[in-house]
Amino acid sequence: MGNEYKIVDHTYDVVIVGAGGAGLRATLGMAAQGLSTACVTKVFPTRSHTVAAQGGMSAALGNMGEDHWTWHMYDTVKGSDWLGDQDAIEYMCREAMPAVIELEHYGVPFSRTEEGKIYQRPFGGMTTHFGEGTAQRTCAAADRTGHAILHTLYQQSLKHKAEFYIEHFATDLIMVDGQCKGVISIDLATGELHRYQAHMVVLATGGCGRTYFSATSAHTCTGDGNAMALRAGLPLQDMEFVQFHPTGIYGAGVLITEGVRGEGGYLTNSEGDRFMERYAPNAKDLASRDVVSRSMTMEINGGRGIGPDADHIHLNLQHLGADVIEKRLPGISESASIFAGVDVTKEPIPVIPTVHYNMGGIPTNYRGEVVTLKDGEPDTVVPGLMAIGEAACVSVHGANRLGSNSLLDIVVFGRAASIRARELVEPGQSHKPLTADDIQPALDHLDKVRFNKGETRTADVRDRMQRTMQKHAAVFRTGESLQQGAELMRGIVDEFDDVKVDDKQMIWNTDLVETLELENLLAQAQTIVHGALNRTESRGAHARDDFEDRNDEEWMKHTLTWTDERANVTIDYRPVHMTTLTDECEVIPPKKRVY
Amino acid sequence: MTRLRTPLSQVKGLGSAKEGTGHFWSQRLSALALVPLIIWLCFSIASLPGMDYVTVREWLGQPVTAILMILLIIAGFYHARLGLQEVAIDYISDHALRTATFIAITFGAALLAVTGVFSVLRIALAS
Amino acid sequence: MAEFTLPANSIVKTKGQVFKAPEGATNVRTFKIYRYDPDSGENPRVDSYEVDLDSCGPMVLDAMLKIKNEIDSTLTFRRSCREGICGSCAMNIDGGNGLACTTSIADIEGDISIYPLPHQPIIKDLVSDLTNFYAQYASIEPWLKSDTPAPPDRERLQSPEDREKLDGAYECIMCACCSTSCPSYWWNPERYLGPAALLASYRWLIDSRDDATGERLDDLEDPYKLYRCHTIMNCAQVCPKGLNPAKAIASTKRMMVERRL
Repeated sequence: MGNEYKIVDHTYDVVIVGAGGAGLRATLGMAAQGLSTACVTKVFPTRSHTVAAQGGMSAALGNMGEDHWTWHMYDTVKGSDWLGDQDAIEYMCREAMPAVIELEHYGVPFSRTEEGKIYQRPFGGMTTHFGEGTAQRTCAAADRTGHAILHTLYQQSLKHKAEFYIEHFATDLIMVDGQCKGVISIDLATGELHRYQAHMVVLATGGCGRTYFSATSAHTCTGDGNAMALRAGLPLQDMEFVQFHPTGIYGAGVLITEGVRGEGGYLTNSEGDRFMERYAPNAKDLASRDVVSRSMTMEINGGRGIGPDADHIHLNLQHLGADVIEKRLPGISESASIFAGVDVTKEPIPVIPTVHYNMGGIPTNYRGEVVTLKDGEPDTVVPGLMAIGEAACVSVHGANRLGSNSLLDIVVFGRAASIRARELVEPGQSHKPLTADDIQPALDHLDKVRFNKGETRTADVRDRMQRTMQKHAAVFRTGESLQQGAELMRGIVDEFDDVKVDDKQMIWNTDLVETLELENLLAQAQTIVHGALNRTESRGAHARDDFEDRNDEEWMKHTLTWTDERANVTIDYRPVHMTTLTDECEVIPPKKRVY
Repeated sequence: MTRLRTPLSQVKGLGSAKEGTGHFWSQRLSALALVPLIIWLCFSIASLPGMDYVTVREWLGQPVTAILMILLIIAGFYHARLGLQEVAIDYISDHALRTATFIAITFGAALLAVTGVFSVLRIALAS
Repeated sequence: MAEFTLPANSIVKTKGQVFKAPEGATNVRTFKIYRYDPDSGENPRVDSYEVDLDSCGPMVLDAMLKIKNEIDSTLTFRRSCREGICGSCAMNIDGGNGLACTTSIADIEGDISIYPLPHQPIIKDLVSDLTNFYAQYASIEPWLKSDTPAPPDRERLQSPEDREKLDGAYECIMCACCSTSCPSYWWNPERYLGPAALLASYRWLIDSRDDATGERLDDLEDPYKLYRCHTIMNCAQVCPKGLNPAKAIASTKRMMVERRL
């Protein structure tokens, strides 16, 4: 056992880890501004999971009826169950319009209205006049908006000649005296290690959906950046808030966009009852995702589920007609046919709430800079480090994200990060050389996992973690179940000590990569389950049977979770920002959240 | 073998030849010409009273036959040359060999076409 | 002539391992999977894995994950979204290119053979080197080019009819199933752009917002880049997204002719 690795050195002004929507927007933005930029990604950029986003990207363009960004802001704050930082939400909703226009100028093939403008569809929780009407705010490219945006951003990155390190698995940040100096990756094709030194490292590594057994997330959604931050001694924020998408295909877990309901689809139970009318009399099937997922779960728990085990719900869109389906929802008809064997023009799709999105992540300010609680100061910037996209918790989504606010988040904050990076970094600024000691922790970490002498399969530990999380940190949670979950997770984390990596090669060693990913998932699962156990209230996606109400007195604050090397969790808090950036809008005070 | 040229540079190579559509179009055009000419040839030969030398020679000596025959020979060998070139591009990866094949195809087609035209003219003008 | 001498290590020589199904399994299918070990440099082999389908998901990818998770964790392949949109798990399944995640096991009879995408350099097992394929995509400059300045504060307008022309062209997931199934691409992989890159090119040729149609056609005006397509149609047959690159190539050729007549 030893560090006999060949290490390839690079120096850049900025390094972005991850090439999803956020990572690519930051990459092309920084490259276009003259910073020497590298993007390190474990999959080819167009294979990042942004590609699977379907429904659209929200922006108050008002192409299909009246709209205003302050209404969008109101909806987002309400959707977040008042856990979102209002300065960041203001920034996002105001920047939404230029962001989507910019994407159109880049060439995104948006669907069009008769006047030739960008087509917009209704989405859950999106209203006009502060909750009164239904807004058509979600800009769509049929039901392949994520694909259209991701491919366009990659094309723009090619145009701006950004440098990519593709199929490089990033393992650790290089931290020197609390400052981020770079990142280490394994080049899968050669097995060599690469050391990137940079004035700014941007984590755009996505969420950790794969902590759960059934998720719409890709196999690669393992939150590697979040775990790197934890290992660097930084906290994650609000990890207990895990969004269950109401309509994952039963069994396969494949996503069916909320746009189906936006276009007029609806949910029914075994009695054929459109039950959402009872739970959300105004918004009905277009209530926000946490509300719909809870309602579906209550129907199933009440014995009104569909199927032999009464364990799923039907999503109906037959009535929309083949024309609308073909024009607006071609992708989901394909998915439904392949994964559920259903012809959507004739039959409903069997669906079930499925893990979809992490509202939590690395805490940042609205410029993308990572912040932490240090010496009592909750907004202390961590020098040299940024986080964007699902990996970050800005926090614009608070306790529950609205559908189509995620594509918006990645583009707006990818751009914000590139602007801020240019303010902080002069192109070509010199680097203070790193020492061997600076990267020793990363090498030791890699060796520890790679040469671990154990007997347990990576996949077995992962399976136990996923099933435990699915059972104990689900749509409805109780203190008792979470406590059990926490105890089980402790045992599972300890099992990792006995994990073996069978593949001994360094070239394309997916066995090693999956084991490193598992280690990353375990740390995040710990923050989720402990955050959830700790938060004794119900807010947004975090619904406790034993604490059914929101408790603003005690809990209108962000959870911060740190882990130690045994993945034990320490908890502290940051206040929610109840301020705005300008006087063009007002702070929206908390009130009861009904749809 | 380590390739130090970047993948993009390799793919861009020598750039566009700014030619190709002419070849493509000519091949289609010559094919289009050959359709009626071949049909005419088949019918004419089939309707000949006999296949003996005198009959065929007399038939070939007629002005309409000779003109159509010359057109057929030109179109046919032109088309063959274009088509064979395509086959060579597909199947011959060695550049020198491919170039040599191109030259052989072109010269061969020209030789055969001129020989054919000359033969028809000689018969047609002699009678 | 065409390369009759095959590249080193291209022939499957070594006898592969056989992994038996567990005792008592009743619904067993055999997966014969191509393996190549880059460290040893030995010729590739085909390993046989007997999988109990009663405890396995319906897709080929489910079986491969089951093999990796429970039988042999060294089996190496790319995978990500498992819903047919990322294009990672493209491979040659039962003789045809496709995505493992959307190919149903039930649709294949008998033993299921799995090979990497044809005619690409192999890095390890089913992981092929797509560098050339990606470079070709980049070489067609797949981004919007416009000499008309975009309106500063609103979108470029495009009629629904013009937008509809992009349907069938923009949905490509760059899985490389089409290009690596094309004999013309096998014969001239360095000079023929292949169906995927040409479809990407066509997507910009017909975008009403793009002003560079002429330049783009100029760049394709070449006996190799475009005109190697002989409408063999393998591309359309294997495309897991149901796209028809051959039709896009034919339309591109028509544009080429149109502008000179």
